[in-house]
Formats: sequence, C-alpha cells, structure tokens
Amino acid sequence: MEFTLLWAALTAVAAAWLGTRVWRASLPDSPTERIVSSAAAGLLVGRIAEMIGQGINPITNLSDLLIIRGGVSVPAATVAAIGTLWWTSNRDLSVVDSFSAPALVGLAGWHAGCLWRSACLGTVSDLPWALAEPGSTITRHPVELYAAVGLVLASLLVSRIPPKPGLRSAAALGLAALVRLVTEPFRLSVTGGPVFWYVVGLSLALLAGTALVWRHREI
Amino acid sequence: MRKALLALVLLATACGSPQLVGEDRPDLPSITGPQLEAQLAESGRPAVVNVWAAWCAPCRSEAPLLASAAAQHGDEVQFIGIDVQDNQADAKDFIERFGLDFDHYFDRDRVVPEYFGGIGTPITFFFDRSGDLVDTHLGVIDDRTLALGIDEITKR
Repeated sequence: MEFTLLWAALTAVAAAWLGTRVWRASLPDSPTERIVSSAAAGLLVGRIAEMIGQGINPITNLSDLLIIRGGVSVPAATVAAIGTLWWTSNRDLSVVDSFSAPALVGLAGWHAGCLWRSACLGTVSDLPWALAEPGSTITRHPVELYAAVGLVLASLLVSRIPPKPGLRSAAALGLAALVRLVTEPFRLSVTGGPVFWYVVGLSLALLAGTALVWRHREI
Repeated sequence: MRKALLALVLLATACGSPQLVGEDRPDLPSITGPQLEAQLAESGRPAVVNVWAAWCAPCRSEAPLLASAAAQHGDEVQFIGIDVQDNQADAKDFIERFGLDFDHYFDRDRVVPEYFGGIGTPITFFFDRSGDLVDTHLGVIDDRTLALGIDEITKR
C-alpha cells in the first residue's frame, strides 16, 4: 500500500473513531473491534470481487489481495461490511443502526483523505472554489470534498432519525448512495461516464428506500 | 467443508486464465529514453507511457484498467508500454493475457524510467502533445488518477 493511500485510510479510521466519540452513548461495548472487523471484511471481499472482475485469480495470486490500489468493488465491500457488522452484533439491527452515523463520518474521512493523495479533483470547472493540479492552469471540481461534506451532513441527518430497528441503517445506506449519485457526474472515469455508478447508486438508494417503507409498514 | 472446497475449486476454475500463447508475436523492440522522447515530440499527440513487467504483481492489477483506457482513449492519446527487467516470452504472454493492445518496448536495463526520473515498477508517465513530461505516477494507478492524467494531457 502506498503511503498516501495509507494516510487516507488512517484519515477514515480517525473520522470513524471521532464519530464513535460523538455518538458514544448509543453505541454498544467495544465499538472499535466491530468497526475494524467490518472494514476488514469489506476490504477483503471487495478486493476479491474486483480481482475476479479483472480476470485475476485470487487463489493463485494471493499476494495481489494486498494491492488495494488495484481496485475494490464498492457494492461487494458494502454488502460484506454491513453483513459482518450485522453478524457480529448477533443479528440485532438496532446495534447495526447505532453504527450508521459513525460509519458515514468514516466514509467522509475516506473521501477527505484525497487531500493526502492529491486526488480530490474531477471535471473542469470555473467556479470560485475550483482547484487546479500542481503546475496546471485547468481548474476542476474538488469532487471528493463535496462527497465528504455530503456524508457529514448525512450522518447528522441519520442521527436524528427515531431509533426503530433498521431505520437508521436503511437511511444511511440510501443517503450514502444519494451522495454518490449526486457527486458522480463531477468525477472522471477512464470508461468515460458515470453510467455504472449511477446504476449502483440508484440500486442502493432503491434498496434503502424499499427497506424504509417496509419498516414503516411493520411498525 | 466439502461445499467450501467445491466452491474454491469452482472459483479457481472460473478465474483460471486460458492457455495463452505469446510466442507468435514478434519480439518487443528496444528503445532508449532519448529515442522515446524524440518519438513523442514528433508524434504531436499526448501520450501515456506505462512502465511494467510480467513479474510485477501491481502491474497485473492495473493492466485491465490500462487496456480499457487504451480502448476508450486510443484515438486521441497514444498508449505506450515499457517492459522492464523482463524476458521476451513472459512479456508477450502478459500482453496477450491482458489484451494490452498498444505499442510496447523492451527495456531490460530500465534505461527509460531512469531517463524520465521514475523509481520502482509500475510507473505511469503523462506527456502532452509537445512531448513534455506533465506528470509521473509511481505505483499502481487507479481509475480516477489515470482519467485525470488523460484529461490533463488532452486539454493542454
């Protein structure tokens, strides 16, 4: 792992820890262990899924699992992280809910970690807050900082939702997808368009919305 | 346990790359730093120059991305691979395996990355249409960084 990426990861961990301090009253015991195990499971499964997608055999190329920069499948990582948290919480949704806001703050930290990696910039922009690459005159949207701000706002919103089992988790998932959806058009991609991520974002938002409606029907 | 083993075997089978043969390809030509520099300046096109090796695990991780980028942006940007500290057979197999369908050169002694000032493998150099070096990325390159580099060199 490159040092810049390591710093970004540490920023995410620090942000998540900060989130656990802010909302510590609602969290169960040993929140750090659960966050670390969920994040590790998410990274591992996400990396394996990405490698399979790239046509690289994860069994015969075990060391490649450590090359996080080579890509991590976000949908697979998300499902694995949430699944691990749910499983380590004895399948208690209210425990999963208590991690929703800190997890969003942790995600915000990951995006803000772009400052360490010089990887905040997206599409070209003339807006007053647009930034340029070192040595370049082309100014761009600081899209990863937009995402970080959006996720912090989302965490504040989630923390105000009534504590009904599953509600905060579903809202957090939906809001994270919404932030991704809104910021994606400002990002650059080699494949030249946000189509894939739009589908991912919309799917997650739809899933979360459905879960929300389902929960309201039950309560 | 049996199911888990069966799943592992199926996964290994599904991901196993087919027997690819690079022997039919001609050997990669050699090039030096000044020769590449002159070639880039003459071409009048921006360029992404990727330094790789068949033995390099991080190069495997970024190879599919580079193949996509070349397919997507090959008309406006030239992609060039510099295979370093390698042998011809492994290099050709690597190119076949990942479908790296662009020009590659063989650089056994790493003279090209040393000329342009990069250490380690992989490295990605971005050149504008005048052949001037705009940016150097050390290590595995990700989608966003590669896209940003391409956007910068095509807009300058």
